[in-house]
Amino acid sequence: MKKGKIYLIVILFFLLAVGYAAFHKWSVNHVTYITGGVEHPIGCISCHVAPERTGFLANMMNEDYLSPINATANHDGSRLYVVAQDADQVIEIDLATNQVISRIQVGDRPHTVEITADNKTAIVSNQWANNIYLIDLSNGAITDTIATGGGPAGMDISPDGKLVYIANTYDNSISVIDIEAKEETRRYQGGNFPTNVTVSPSGDMVYVSSQRTIPVEHRAPIMSEVTVINTVANRVSDRRYFQSAHIMESIEFTPQGDMAIATLVRPKNLVPSAQIEGGWMINHGIGIAMSDGRMAQFLLDEPNEFYPDPYNIVIHPTGKFAYVSHSGADMVSVIDLDAIRTLLQNASDADLVRYANHLGLSSEYVVKRISTGANPKGLAISPDGKYVYVVERMMDRISVIDTEKMEVDHSIDLGGPTRITVSRLGGQLFSNASHTYHNQYSCYTCHPDGHEDGLTYDLTGSGRNLANVQTLRDLNHTAPFKWIGTNQSVYKQCGMRFSIFVTRTESFSPKNLDALVAYIFRELTHPPNLNRLPDGELTDAQKRGKVMYYRTVTNTGMEIPVKDQCITCHNGPSYNSTIMSDIGTLKENDDPTLFDPANLNNVYESAPYLHDGSAATLEEVWTKFNPDDKHGYVNDMTKDQLNDLVEYLKALPAERYYASDQEYEVTTGQLH
Amino acid sequence: MKNYLQKLTFTQTTAFLVVLSLVLFSFIMPVGTQDTANQSTGTDKSEVTEAKPMPIYGNWKNYTKKDGLPADKIYCVRVDGDRVWAGTNNGLAMLENGKWTTFTEKDGLAHHNVLSIDISPINGDVWVATMSGLSVYSGGKFKTYTQFNSGLANDVVYCVICDGKDVWTATGGGANSFDTFTGKWGIYTEQNAPMHEPWTYNVCASKEKIFIAAWGGGVIEWTKKTQQFRDYVDPDGEMEIDLFPDDGVIHDITTAVSYANDILWVSSYFGMSRYDGSKWKGYFDHDSGLAGNFINFLKANGPVVWACTDNGMSSFDGNTWVTYRNNGTEKGGKVIIDGNSPNERTLSATSSIAHNFIIGVDFKDNEVWIATAGGLSKGEIVSYTETKTSKL
Repeated sequence: MKKGKIYLIVILFFLLAVGYAAFHKWSVNHVTYITGGVEHPIGCISCHVAPERTGFLANMMNEDYLSPINATANHDGSRLYVVAQDADQVIEIDLATNQVISRIQVGDRPHTVEITADNKTAIVSNQWANNIYLIDLSNGAITDTIATGGGPAGMDISPDGKLVYIANTYDNSISVIDIEAKEETRRYQGGNFPTNVTVSPSGDMVYVSSQRTIPVEHRAPIMSEVTVINTVANRVSDRRYFQSAHIMESIEFTPQGDMAIATLVRPKNLVPSAQIEGGWMINHGIGIAMSDGRMAQFLLDEPNEFYPDPYNIVIHPTGKFAYVSHSGADMVSVIDLDAIRTLLQNASDADLVRYANHLGLSSEYVVKRISTGANPKGLAISPDGKYVYVVERMMDRISVIDTEKMEVDHSIDLGGPTRITVSRLGGQLFSNASHTYHNQYSCYTCHPDGHEDGLTYDLTGSGRNLANVQTLRDLNHTAPFKWIGTNQSVYKQCGMRFSIFVTRTESFSPKNLDALVAYIFRELTHPPNLNRLPDGELTDAQKRGKVMYYRTVTNTGMEIPVKDQCITCHNGPSYNSTIMSDIGTLKENDDPTLFDPANLNNVYESAPYLHDGSAATLEEVWTKFNPDDKHGYVNDMTKDQLNDLVEYLKALPAERYYASDQEYEVTTGQLH
Repeated sequence: MKNYLQKLTFTQTTAFLVVLSLVLFSFIMPVGTQDTANQSTGTDKSEVTEAKPMPIYGNWKNYTKKDGLPADKIYCVRVDGDRVWAGTNNGLAMLENGKWTTFTEKDGLAHHNVLSIDISPINGDVWVATMSGLSVYSGGKFKTYTQFNSGLANDVVYCVICDGKDVWTATGGGANSFDTFTGKWGIYTEQNAPMHEPWTYNVCASKEKIFIAAWGGGVIEWTKKTQQFRDYVDPDGEMEIDLFPDDGVIHDITTAVSYANDILWVSSYFGMSRYDGSKWKGYFDHDSGLAGNFINFLKANGPVVWACTDNGMSSFDGNTWVTYRNNGTEKGGKVIIDGNSPNERTLSATSSIAHNFIIGVDFKDNEVWIATAGGLSKGEIVSYTETKTSKL
């Protein structure tokens, strides 16, 4: 070999070595920065491939799971219909053979399926399509599409089979559909994020549960609504409240009609998160709206063991037992309703308050805990009451509980992918509470459906720096995180600090943290923005509001300083930026800080607003909390201009839906 | 006969059938269609109620504070099935099962001065316009919209109506629309509508249009389909007199609008106007049976319009005026039929409306409910015989 070639090889080797050393040093620094200095064997793939939604490698790494959420048995008990949310399917199971016999493709993000009394028609709510489908079960054909309110979720059919009542989660309404006429005949105002519906056995009352508290004074005890519709008078006849409770994912009448029972969560967001002997941060249970007008709550937790995220409830045809799925504990609780009735029979008002907080009481009425697969969500019960079907969302599986033996009898595989991907593991972790002290709550508990619960917590236990929970939807590429922007990554957000202040347990393992980040970034996403026109275009008011959003001069022609223009801090696909600002909203109990601009995608569904949740509506952000124009220059606006601006803000969609050059036309060349 | 019919030519047969049809049609045709004053002019193709003889109301029952109302000054009244709602200067009152229940700020009502009430036809919610915000009563609870927490144009809300899913308000800062399905607010002022200024008093809906009574702007008409405005103002431009009779709405300062049977009725502090889609007609207290020119409110019930004046309650079906007054300090009242006409008759009555300053009116079957400055009055249709000294 010639000397020249040898020199060349040596030089190349030297350059490679130097290059590698430099890259290694840079990558170590980069990883250290990203993880907040916490030791973590993070690789490039963890951040740059696994959390992505598109791309060859990301597609190779991930699978299309079914993610079933709810189910119902038909009226002769021969079939089970399962809603597969991520697959947009209704899966039909022959309960004699326990085999999937058909898959019916339905609308965007289906939520619930109900079967008409003649077993001939299935009604499916398509939560992201704002409609329901009627399906001819003889051939699986979709025969009709009927428009509803925004985000149709839980449903129930009237005893005479003529009407279906639907909880519309995204616009807080309740639709009444005439099944024969195939049209919406009435629409009622529900609570905050209505979730589920139950019609009384007599048919004269309809109860609707809701996920969030109704708006209350800032830092006042929350109260979540059960909307009561009188079907004779055709009006909302009552709005009954469960005090200090929320996340009522489902509600069900007993066959006797003496109780409507809702699953619920009791957050302790008004006290420092340090009082473990008093139930610590979040408890879980049921709420009972009694026919005599009283409201009661019972915890399903135990003093040192918690059963988080109760999702669904079904009641045995005898009315003696109720079954509650705990999606955060992989468990089903069996509740003796006669024991509950006995407790309620002579209970005083003071007793009812005590019951609602009594961790030691559950042993008197919880007769069995039945382990299930990962993330049990919807429940269905056979007409004869012999079986309870448990929808295991993160397993793509149905477990069947024998109600006499009170144990899982067998399982039915829905045919989803068998491989557990990084993101899927993250989903299982996200929805499971085993990583918190006493298994008290999961990520889902404060971030239901990957969103946020609308509450403000005192996480430091000091009474200072109260934090309004933020949505986890569409977070990728929007760092930094937290209101004050101190977390440059979710690795830091959910790492050591999180375990110290929030979960009070060991930190997530590096593998689990990788999985959690991948799940949050890849799977949690906003629904379509229902405030836009059906084709995604802006209304006239929204177009006028867009002009206000992008304006650079006041109504009097004065130039608005760049820092006071909306677009300066809220731009790009997530309508945010890294410009830390004083927007004049600090309170006396806040440490001095600047704020990281919040993402504004689907901001209409994130009330209350501001870092401490003090603004009840978007309007209040500017009418009450921006006297000095620090949070954008708005005080010269007329009322109709502010209305237009709010209309435009309500129309800001998730990036993937309506991203276009036109939407972000002002984002270049103007900033800084 | 058979042979005879076979011999008829085609022309003869046709002529026979035409004559037969006309004879039959003349029997079927209702006599009421001869009444030109009540003819449908087809401006809006709304449901037209057939004209009946002008009813007379009596057997007045007056509700005051003694009966459980929170005040005697009643701003508005609205019948809601078996319930009756009354807006007073001291809260909202509901009559149910013979008992009054009062709601105030303590119950979540926006303000105790309740100016207008309407019921949603799609869900039965009760919308309440107050001097300090718009409240909706649903399921026994109030929710309030203000100019600070919502798109409400102004907290002074003079009128609220429910038009399907849309709620319209007339406020001190413009007319408002609120889509209860989408939560979208619209504000209509002199900036985007042919108004003189944003002050609006009243609003009503027909099947195809919204009508707004705007201070100084006459009547603003909004067509739902095209979303276009037009206005109806006093063509003579005179504020003191109606210079040219029947040339248009009689005054630019309007207080209320009501649409029924394809007729738009408009009130002002200077008289009342009627518009059939092509012609305007003005009514004053000196040339008609109208009790007074100062009209706070009016509402049409099918073919009959009720004008709430400062001098009694007048009703009019296009032909006949009937005015109700009480006798002030003396007991009883009177009913004046076709006042200011050669045909004027006065009936004395042992019962009467509570006060002659009338602010609101609503109807239920054979009942009329009248909001006055001295209580809430309920009358029912009575039969009577006219003699020289008629009594109800």
